[in-house]
Amino acid sequence: MSGQMAQMPIGPDLLRQLPALITVATAVLALVAQMVARPRWSLWITLGGLLVASAMAVPLLGADETVFAGTYRVDTLSTWAALVLLPATALVVALSEPEVRGTPREGAVYSLLAFTTVGALVLAGAGDVMFVVLGVLISSLGAFGLVAYGRDDRATEAAMKYFVFGSVSEAAMIFGLTFWFGATGSTLLGDLWRLEGARLPAAAGLLGVLVGLGYKAAIVPFHFWAPDAYDGGPVAVAAYLSVVPKVGALFGLSQVVSGLPESAANWRFIVAVLAVLSMTYGNLAALVQSNVIRLLAYSSIAQAGYFLLGVVALGRSPLALQSLVVFGAAYAAMNIGTFAIIARVGRDIHSLAGYGRASPVGGAALVICLLSLVGVPPLAGFFGKLLLFSAALDADFSWLAVVAIVNSVLSLAVYLRLLVPAYQLPADKPMPSLGAVAATSTALVVALGIAIQVLVSRVN
Amino acid sequence: MPLLSIAVFVPFLGAIALVLLRKPGARTAHQIGLVASGSSLLASAGVAVRGLSGASEFSQVEQIDWIPSLGSAYRVGVDGISLPLVLLTGVLFFVSLVYSLRVRDRAAAYVAFFLSLETTCLGAFVALDLVLFYVFFELTLVSMYFIIAGWGHEGAQRAALLFFLYTLLGSLPILLGIVALYLGSDPHTFDIRQMIAAPPLAGVAATLTFVAFLVGFGIKTPVFPFHTWLPAAHVEAPTAGSVVLAGVLLKLGTYGFVRFALQMTPDAFRAAAPWVAALAVVSALYGAFVALAQTDLKRMVAYTSVNHMGYVVLAIAAAAAASDQPVRALGLDGAVLQMVSHGVVTGALFLLVGALQDRAGTREMGAFGGLLRAVPLLGWAFILAAFASLGLPGLAHFPAEFQIFLGAFGVWPVASAIVVLGILVTAGLYLRAIQATFLGELGDRWRALPDLHGSDLWAVAPLLGLAVLIGIAPGVLLDVIHRTVSAVGP
Repeated sequence: MSGQMAQMPIGPDLLRQLPALITVATAVLALVAQMVARPRWSLWITLGGLLVASAMAVPLLGADETVFAGTYRVDTLSTWAALVLLPATALVVALSEPEVRGTPREGAVYSLLAFTTVGALVLAGAGDVMFVVLGVLISSLGAFGLVAYGRDDRATEAAMKYFVFGSVSEAAMIFGLTFWFGATGSTLLGDLWRLEGARLPAAAGLLGVLVGLGYKAAIVPFHFWAPDAYDGGPVAVAAYLSVVPKVGALFGLSQVVSGLPESAANWRFIVAVLAVLSMTYGNLAALVQSNVIRLLAYSSIAQAGYFLLGVVALGRSPLALQSLVVFGAAYAAMNIGTFAIIARVGRDIHSLAGYGRASPVGGAALVICLLSLVGVPPLAGFFGKLLLFSAALDADFSWLAVVAIVNSVLSLAVYLRLLVPAYQLPADKPMPSLGAVAATSTALVVALGIAIQVLVSRVN
Repeated sequence: MPLLSIAVFVPFLGAIALVLLRKPGARTAHQIGLVASGSSLLASAGVAVRGLSGASEFSQVEQIDWIPSLGSAYRVGVDGISLPLVLLTGVLFFVSLVYSLRVRDRAAAYVAFFLSLETTCLGAFVALDLVLFYVFFELTLVSMYFIIAGWGHEGAQRAALLFFLYTLLGSLPILLGIVALYLGSDPHTFDIRQMIAAPPLAGVAATLTFVAFLVGFGIKTPVFPFHTWLPAAHVEAPTAGSVVLAGVLLKLGTYGFVRFALQMTPDAFRAAAPWVAALAVVSALYGAFVALAQTDLKRMVAYTSVNHMGYVVLAIAAAAAASDQPVRALGLDGAVLQMVSHGVVTGALFLLVGALQDRAGTREMGAFGGLLRAVPLLGWAFILAAFASLGLPGLAHFPAEFQIFLGAFGVWPVASAIVVLGILVTAGLYLRAIQATFLGELGDRWRALPDLHGSDLWAVAPLLGLAVLIGIAPGVLLDVIHRTVSAVGP
């Protein structure tokens, strides 16, 4: 391995890593701007850097290769992670601005958001278990800081829970992965086929990966930290945690399992069971929340379950990759849109009362984002779910698709809990208008749905 | 000129105009509603005048690429099954908006929801692409939910919620069925014409897909035991909402039985036909007997829908099971005609019950008596519509039910003998309602009740006219219907 590496020119490999490298540079520059007491510069540097980094991923579309001696993949998942998660981070940065403006560490928030996204990108392109570990660590470190940002009791408690839970999960993951290394003699995900027949190591490693990435993606039963962490920090951080590290971890999980031999530890079935648990528990728990952020936290646990339908079908259905990317893009837009509206209206479910009547445009945006989360056509979420269901059926997991459908109905009951007060009651206070972030996200939810061909035709 | 697309999207343009105008007055809102819905009806009439071309294929097809990567496109067209339903939809929405002219509470939003609902209903009937169909089919729920929740009666919130959840539970199995058809087709496509020409599934996959359609469209129709959402939704919806719900949205269910279950999974349907027929018979009788037990007029009319839809499903099941073409065509002729007749007649009944409630503040039969003397127009109109609904010869339901029973008798004589009981029960319940409400002693409190006038009259009259017209000259519609259904099947 090392001999090979010495011979290879590193320049082209670095060029293929431009999105991540520019994001790192953005995070550093944003921090420097904060250090010289120019938080406004920090904001613009972050927004600009993220969009430039995202643009650098466009030439990589259609590529399917590995760099750095097979340890990092430049493929559909990693390229689309950059194309989706970097703009999503930019939206979150814009969303966080009113919440953190003028506070002592304003620029640090923007910097941390960019830095944490690097972890998600590393996960989505991981070609080596070390990158999986690195990705989880990077995205955890920044996220702890973001959750603790508020510096009050609630934020500290949330961050502590998140930190302790994260440390234990990561340790478990690393421990499990040593079994894979022992059995295959390699840390490359491309060598996981050697696990064929090695039942115990295969199962131990899979367990480790599921604990570590399941924690990052907030999949049941590794989700306990999520509602507290989301509700502890600024709403923008909740929006961020529900989208960027989650999608990164799910794409990372896809990279890992797609290399596993079919028989290894019955992984498809285990992932399918986790999907059922996540969807069902997430939706049921969301039904009884009265804090909108906690409700959305549980809803995003359920949404992670839908993603797993695509993971289950990897390698069996050509629709699996498409479904993951399309649902990823749709999910980022609709979830950030919903959080952006809540950030303006308020965390309590009663604060939504009359929103739809007082602000028709804002109400319409809320309806669009929530119905897209349910999967109502022709919105982006519908096409994501259509592809996920197709992939699951195609991979002979019809029963999983049926469970997902029942859960979609359940999720409608969850989201109607937000819509009903918005339309049923007249407003008892002046309502905020629709913000730019919410408007952009909602427009994306509609546009991605109607023009889904643009997206589908570029994911192969 | 793409008349079909114009008919489908003009109402939606009206809805957009209402949104863009930013709080137009009620008068403007209703004018826009009538113009948009009226233009759509005219375009549909144009489609009917152009007529159908071939026997078995779809006519006036309009097509634009949409998602070529997935084999999905914007494709619309009509045949003898969908064309009558398109016309029915156009008429019912127009009269509903006429009846709604008096709505003043958030009129712009009200009209906008009705117009979007019209677009989605028409779109579902003319879609020739499975994804496109599903888009329209599912969106009908959203508009209807807001109409019930926003302008319904006392328990509207709960009824709307139940309606939305229950029917979403129905539409998602349909989505799975659609995906199964897509995965079974080679090359993968969502083109309905290809699914009909060469049903892609066989064996277990076909059976499971059929079951998904049975559950999905069974909830929509509704067939016993999936009917529990219906009474609440119909009763709590505003009058025009009930008209559209019973007249158009239920037809999406029966239309789906024909277009999807029968045409795309024919063998599985044939194998399961006796079971479906049993459900249909139970539905028809259950609907009739429960309607008989009601004292609330609106609730009673709502339950007769379960009865009438039971006949339709029985006829479709008979068509699926029939081994020879004439019997199959007979059943389907009756089924499609019954869909139209039920839309027209039940639409009129809901309008009349709504008018009565607006005037009297109650719908309880026991509270009335002798109303024929106070409101003769309303009374005679109700009696005419009730006679049509119970299947009196010369009125709309008779030719339809006659063919349904004839078609079903050819396949299952016993089942059709049992189901005819339903007609006796409906006759009994309508006569009882007429007697309790319009005959007998007129109570003092009802003496000053105003009779039908203005927009009420203009909304009801066309429907009653159609009920008589279909009864006297069913051939006009049957010619169109028969042209397609005579070619359905193996």
